[in-house]
Amino acid sequence: MARSRVPTLPKLYDYVLSDACYKVRLLLSLLGVPYTSVAVDFFPGREPEGEAFRRINPEGDLPVLEDDGVVLRDAQAILVHLARKHDANWLPPGNRWLDFAGADMAALSQARLVSLLGLPGDLATLRKAGRRALRDLEDHIGDRQIAGFDWVETDRATIADIGLFPHVALSHDAGIGLEDYPALNLWQRRVRKLPRFVGMPGIPDYF
Amino acid sequence: MTLTPDQAALDQWYVLGALRDFPSGKTRSTRLLGGDIAVTRRDDGIEVVGEGRALPVRTNYDHLWTTFGTPARDLFSLPEAAEPDRRWIHCGGVHVRASGLRLIENFLDLAHFPYVHTDILGSEEKPEVAKYEVEQRRDVDELWATKCEFFQPKAAAASDEGQISQYMYRVVSPFNVMLYKTPPTAPNRWDVIALFVHPLDEIESVAHPFMLVIDDTSSDAEIIQFQQMIFLQDKIVLENQRPLLLPLQPGRETPTRADLSSVLYRRWLKEKALTFGTEPRTDLA
Amino acid sequence: MTAGWTPIALSRDVPAGITRAVIVEGRELVIWRGDGPAHVWEDRCPHRGMRLSLGFVRDNSLNCLYHGWQYGASSSCVRIPAHPDLTVAPTIKANAYESAEAGGLVWVRLGGTEPLPAPSEPVTPVLSFAMEVDSLDRDSLMLPFQRAELHLHWHRVGPARIMVHAVMSGGADIAGAAAFLRALRDDMEQEVAA
Repeated sequence: MARSRVPTLPKLYDYVLSDACYKVRLLLSLLGVPYTSVAVDFFPGREPEGEAFRRINPEGDLPVLEDDGVVLRDAQAILVHLARKHDANWLPPGNRWLDFAGADMAALSQARLVSLLGLPGDLATLRKAGRRALRDLEDHIGDRQIAGFDWVETDRATIADIGLFPHVALSHDAGIGLEDYPALNLWQRRVRKLPRFVGMPGIPDYF
Repeated sequence: MTLTPDQAALDQWYVLGALRDFPSGKTRSTRLLGGDIAVTRRDDGIEVVGEGRALPVRTNYDHLWTTFGTPARDLFSLPEAAEPDRRWIHCGGVHVRASGLRLIENFLDLAHFPYVHTDILGSEEKPEVAKYEVEQRRDVDELWATKCEFFQPKAAAASDEGQISQYMYRVVSPFNVMLYKTPPTAPNRWDVIALFVHPLDEIESVAHPFMLVIDDTSSDAEIIQFQQMIFLQDKIVLENQRPLLLPLQPGRETPTRADLSSVLYRRWLKEKALTFGTEPRTDLA
Repeated sequence: MTAGWTPIALSRDVPAGITRAVIVEGRELVIWRGDGPAHVWEDRCPHRGMRLSLGFVRDNSLNCLYHGWQYGASSSCVRIPAHPDLTVAPTIKANAYESAEAGGLVWVRLGGTEPLPAPSEPVTPVLSFAMEVDSLDRDSLMLPFQRAELHLHWHRVGPARIMVHAVMSGGADIAGAAAFLRALRDDMEQEVAA
């Protein structure tokens, strides 16, 4: 008798307030991919830095996705993996803005942790770098809008949009509103309107 | 900012954090009511220095408490802390750019559940706030809201389905509040969810959610994440209320029947003549 | 800036269903659009002071994020969800400003009594952007660009920050005009920094 193999669901090591974990949760939802999650006590317990978690990710960082027997780290890398596996339409034609989400947006991510959780860091410097990144994205999306495109890389939403979105929608946690950024205000709402969109604390999900 | 001159605010007990936030042999500096504070933990005890003098210290309920003034009472009692089967869970201090009084008032509010905690603590299909009771218990100087009921799709970390939750609120001081709520796993007991607010100054606060719960199914991390999720959903509201300070002047806001606990909380603050964290009034001589 | 009337956004940037937070001289405003013209209100729900720009537009009404209080186009509160059977008192209203849309812009009247001057010719929206300067020395500017004219309107956000709203009359390359404006912004900001 042939026994069917029960597929194992991807497992996300998750922290509900993490912008990086949210990128993964959001894409999983948009793709309609079921998954299991393990709550990791990033704060106040600092569990990722502990020995047990470092056996899962030596970097001591979130998110981590276990899928197909592979352990993936770094939110952007996980987005690429999920898009390749489930729906290549989500892959962007170029890497510029996905890289930007991982690199230039890191200052906003840090500024948010300093403001929110009182973690150490120079808030004024981080905010300034965060504003710089938001302006660069605003300029780009403003140009895209003039050219008749709604999304950062091509004529449809890709993982570049998903990688950028949490930083824009959560900038208020770092004390930066969207008043200066009319194009981002419109773009972030388009993201919220995607079918199967989910929010997170700080990003209400009805619109 | 300098230490507030508001005597009513000075004469209260304030949380400075969970005890474990203050490692032995180290000095940590912070602020309270606009004044500077230094906390030093030694093997033989813990010292709090505020504005250059040693301040009274309490270490009840796994937290560090102090005061700049002379509180009329000792720190509030929390009888549930003596029940051996409760889990004590620290959810971590979260910084909020708002008056601590706004945090407490929001904690007392039921009507926002369907909109701010959608499909968790409330649902848009059932937004009605049923009549509840609020009383000022003068013997203990506490404010109690009782007979609160609300339909909740996911009332707690361990919930599998919706329930009509019963709530009681107990405000023990202007910046400290407890919520008693029926747990999904033990309908004859009350979970205790406390919110201790550490006001750094008038418009910046650190919120310390602390739980004494009956839950033998969820992990600590799951309970913490659930509580942090709820609190962070509130944060976007708290930082966007205008003014950030709590208005006590009649007519500045528009309360309805569902806001009874807010109305009585503000009246209680006025009775205490507390002004720290409140909007300056123009209607008084 | 026309006395009393302040330009605060490009109409293009406030499509149906959108809320847009704007700060004018430290005053927080929300622009939102349902089925018709853009509305400009104080960014504050009269119930508990919540900024309405964080709310949501539904059924030609603006709904507060905090408790779902629903405000119709007339700015009157029409529904308080916590009390579904309550007829809301007509005195419960959001604080609406007089506003108008003309020349590709959303205008709000923050003072004065004079009417909004009618725009002379049709325009194309180009770009609305923040600039870190304290103010400009003229209320509005006209700059030649290619065979067209760029009209720059602006409002002051607060110290060292303005928002510029640029429209164009005559045919020209909009993308080129946007690039030209950003270069102008960067130059002027550098001048302030130096």
